[in-house]
Amino acid sequence: MFAAPLRRFFSILFVCFALSGCGQGESNVESGNRQQILHFSNGTEIQGLDPHVITGIAEHHVVQTLFEGLVVKDSQTLELEPAAAASWTISDDGRIYTFTMRDDARWSNGDPVTAYDFEWSWWRALQPSLGSQYVFTYFPIKNAEAYFKQEISDFSKVGIKALDEKTFRVELNNPTPYFLQLLDHYSTFPVHKATVEKYGKPDESYTRWTRPSNIVTNGPFLMKSWRLNKRLIVEKNPDYWGAENVRLNQIVFHPIDSEIVEERMFRAGQLHWTDQVAIDRAPWYRENAPERMRIKPYVGTYIYRINNKLPHLSDSRVRKALAMTVDRQTLMDTVLNNIFTPSYAITPPGLLGYQPPKTFGYDPNQARALLAEAGYPNGEGFPEMELQYNTSDQHRKIATAIQQMWNKELGIKVRLQNKDWKVYLDDEATGNFEVSRGGWIGDYVDPNTFLDMWVGGSGLNRTGWNDPRYDELILKTAPQAKTREERFAAFREAETLMMNDMPFIPIYTYSSHHFVHPSLKGMHVNVMNYHNFRDVYLDPNWDKKEQASGQGE
Amino acid sequence: MSAQALVNAEKGTSLWADAWVRLKKNKLALFGLGVVLFLIVIALLTPWIAPYGYEEQNLELGATPPSAAHWLGTDLFGRDLLTRLMYGGRVSLAVGLIATSVALLIGVAWGTIAGYVGGRTDAIMMRIVDALYALPFIIFIILLMVVFGRSLLLLFLAIGAVEWLTMARIVRGQVLTIRNQEYVEAARAMGLSTPRILLRHVVPNSLGPIIVYATLTVPQVMLLEAFLSFLGLGIQPPQSSWGLLISYGAEVMEDYPWLLIFPGLALSITLFALNFLGDGLRDALDPKASKD
Repeated sequence: MFAAPLRRFFSILFVCFALSGCGQGESNVESGNRQQILHFSNGTEIQGLDPHVITGIAEHHVVQTLFEGLVVKDSQTLELEPAAAASWTISDDGRIYTFTMRDDARWSNGDPVTAYDFEWSWWRALQPSLGSQYVFTYFPIKNAEAYFKQEISDFSKVGIKALDEKTFRVELNNPTPYFLQLLDHYSTFPVHKATVEKYGKPDESYTRWTRPSNIVTNGPFLMKSWRLNKRLIVEKNPDYWGAENVRLNQIVFHPIDSEIVEERMFRAGQLHWTDQVAIDRAPWYRENAPERMRIKPYVGTYIYRINNKLPHLSDSRVRKALAMTVDRQTLMDTVLNNIFTPSYAITPPGLLGYQPPKTFGYDPNQARALLAEAGYPNGEGFPEMELQYNTSDQHRKIATAIQQMWNKELGIKVRLQNKDWKVYLDDEATGNFEVSRGGWIGDYVDPNTFLDMWVGGSGLNRTGWNDPRYDELILKTAPQAKTREERFAAFREAETLMMNDMPFIPIYTYSSHHFVHPSLKGMHVNVMNYHNFRDVYLDPNWDKKEQASGQGE
Repeated sequence: MSAQALVNAEKGTSLWADAWVRLKKNKLALFGLGVVLFLIVIALLTPWIAPYGYEEQNLELGATPPSAAHWLGTDLFGRDLLTRLMYGGRVSLAVGLIATSVALLIGVAWGTIAGYVGGRTDAIMMRIVDALYALPFIIFIILLMVVFGRSLLLLFLAIGAVEWLTMARIVRGQVLTIRNQEYVEAARAMGLSTPRILLRHVVPNSLGPIIVYATLTVPQVMLLEAFLSFLGLGIQPPQSSWGLLISYGAEVMEDYPWLLIFPGLALSITLFALNFLGDGLRDALDPKASKD
C-alpha cells in the first residue's frame, strides 16, 4: 500500500534529475521516434495480465496489445473488423452467430488459434470460482448466466460451441444489438489452454501462467519485460497475421499515477502520451501549446460509490442529501478548469441518442431537509465518514472540495483516505468503505454498458444496492424490446428508478484528456477513447513537416 | 576581604549559569532561540489570531497571489495560505516536540541502563539498537501505522520510536565514562540503590550532550513528518503541515509559486533557527568540544 507514494516521490526526484540533465543525450521521444518505440504513460501499475481476471483501463491498454478476440474495432470509425475470426454470419432471427476462424492466426508458441481455444476460454471465463468481474458480458449467450450461477452444470447446454477447428457457433437468448461489440472486450479474449493448465487450475486466478517468461499470447505484440512499478515493455510480434501493418517496434508502458509527474516528464521529452492532463496546467497549454493537449468527449462517468449496507448510509434520503450538496458546476469552473461537464445520472448524454434522466440538482436547502427527515438535523448524530480514493492528485482535489461542501452545507464530517490502486480495489470489492471514488467507462457504445452493472449480484455494483424492478427492466424488458424506442424507454425507467434511490453519487461526465506529442500518429479521436496500437506510428520528421507547411510552434 | 565575599568567590558558578553566559555571547544561537520562542507563541495563539478558518474554501476565488485580504495569497481552493501556514506550523512544531520527547525518554533510559549495568546486558541491548538501525525506518513507521491505524498522536509516537537509537548510543557512551568516576564509586560505597544512583548522579551529569542532541533531533523529526506526509502517510486533508503544504506547492510551483515559496521559507527558517540553537547549546554546554 505504500508502493505508490514512494514511487511517486522517487519519480519526482527522477524528473528533477531528468530536467536538470536537459541538453545532454537524446530524450525518450527522440530516440523513440527514430526506433518506433512508443513511450506511453499508463497511469497506474496494472493488476495482472489474465484477460478473464483483470478490470481497468490501464490493464486494457496492455492486454489489448497481447491478445486478440474474435473481432476488433476500427479505431477511427469504431466499426467492427475481423480479427481472430476471418468472417461471421448472423442468422435471420439475430440469435445465432457463426464465426469462421482465420487460417493464419497463431499463438506466440506457434500453435494455431482455433475455435476450440475460444470454446475453452469462454468456458473458463464462466467458471464461478475464477471470479471474473466481467462475466456478465457473456450473459446474452444462451444459458451462460444459468451455468455461471450453477443452475445447470452441463456446459454443452450453453450456447457456445466449436463445431470444428475453424467454426465457432454462438447462440444468444435474444437478438442483442451490441453483442459483436462485446467480442472486442478483453473478457472475451482467448487464452492458451496448455499454458494455463501447466501453471495451475483453469479456474485459478493469478497463477504463474501470466509471468512474462511463461505467457503465450495471440496479439499483435509480445511481452518483452515487466519490471513492477518501473515499466512494462511489449514488442512487435513478427508472426502476427497482420504483422506487415504493425508499425511500432515496441511500446513502453510507464506506470505513473501522478499527472503532475506525467506532465513534467512529457515536457522533458520522456513521454509521447500522458494518461491524463494535469488540470492545473490546462490553462497554460490552452494558451501556449494547444496542439499538445487533447480534450474530447468520452463515454464515462465519475461517481462516488456509497456503501448502502452501512446503517447511516442505508437511507436513500441521506444519499440524496449528499448528492444534492455537491456543487458540480462550481467544481468544474474552478478546481477542474472546465475539462469535464457535470453529471446527474450514470449514463453520459447522447449515447446513440439516449438522454439520461435528471432527477435532482444542486439544492442544499432540500438536502438539509432530507437529512433532517432521515434523523440527522444539521448533521447531528451522523458519524464521521471516510471517503476513499486511489492515490491521485486529481482525486484528492475533488475530494477536498466535496469534503468541504458536505461539511459546510450538511454538517457532515468527512475524513479523506488515499489508497494504493490494488488496496483500493480490494477494499471496494469487499465492501470495506463508506464512500469510495469510482468511475465507469463504457465498454461499448450503448447505454446498457452503464446500466447492467448495477443489477443485483453484479461484481461491479459494489454498493450493496439492489432493486428487483430494476433488474427486471435491465435483464428482461430491455433485451426483449422490439424497437430502440421501447428499449430506451425501459432503460430510462430503470435509470430514473435508480437515481431516485441514489446508490452512488454521479459527479461529472468524463472527457478524454491527454498531452500528446505531435510526432504520435494514429491515436484517433473517438468517443470511446479507443486506440488500437496496430494503427499507431511515430513520425520522426514531425517538426520538419510543420516548418515546411508554415505551422511551426 | 570579608568572610561573606570569600564564600561568594568559593561558591563559583554552576554549569548552567556558565552555559547561559556563553550562549548569550553567541548571536546566532540567540537569534535561533528568539525565532523558536516566537514560533511557539504563534502556534499556541493560532486559533485566536488566524485571519481565516483553515478549511474555509472559496472555490470561485481560487489561487490568488498575495494581497491585502490574503497576505500570503490563497491556494487552489481559495483557502488563505497564511492561516494554513499557521495551522500547519502547529502540527510541525507539535511533531517536533512530542517525537523528540519520546525519543528522549526511550533513548536516555535505554542508554543509561545499558551503559551502567554493562556486561552481557549492555551487549544485548546495544545489539538490539544495531538491529533496529539496520531496519529501514520508513518501513518500520509504515508497519506501525498499519497495525495501529492512523492518528496524529500515533504518527508522533511512531517517529519518536525510530529516532531514539542515536540518543541511546550517545547516552551509553556518556554513562560509560561517568560510571567509573569517583563520585559514582562513592555513591555505590554508601550503599545507594542503583535507580537512585542513576537518577541522582549519572543522568544529571550526562545532561549536556542529551540536551544538545535533543535540539538537533527536533528539526530531524520535522523533516521526517514532512517526508511521511508527502508520501500520504502523515496527515490527511483538510488538515495540513508544512511538509504537506510544500509538497502541494511543489506540484503547482510553475503556475502559483507563492504556494511553494512561503511554506518553504517557514520550514527553512525554523530549521535554521533550531540548528543554530542546537550548535550554540553544544558549544555552551560542552566547552571541550567547542573550537574556541
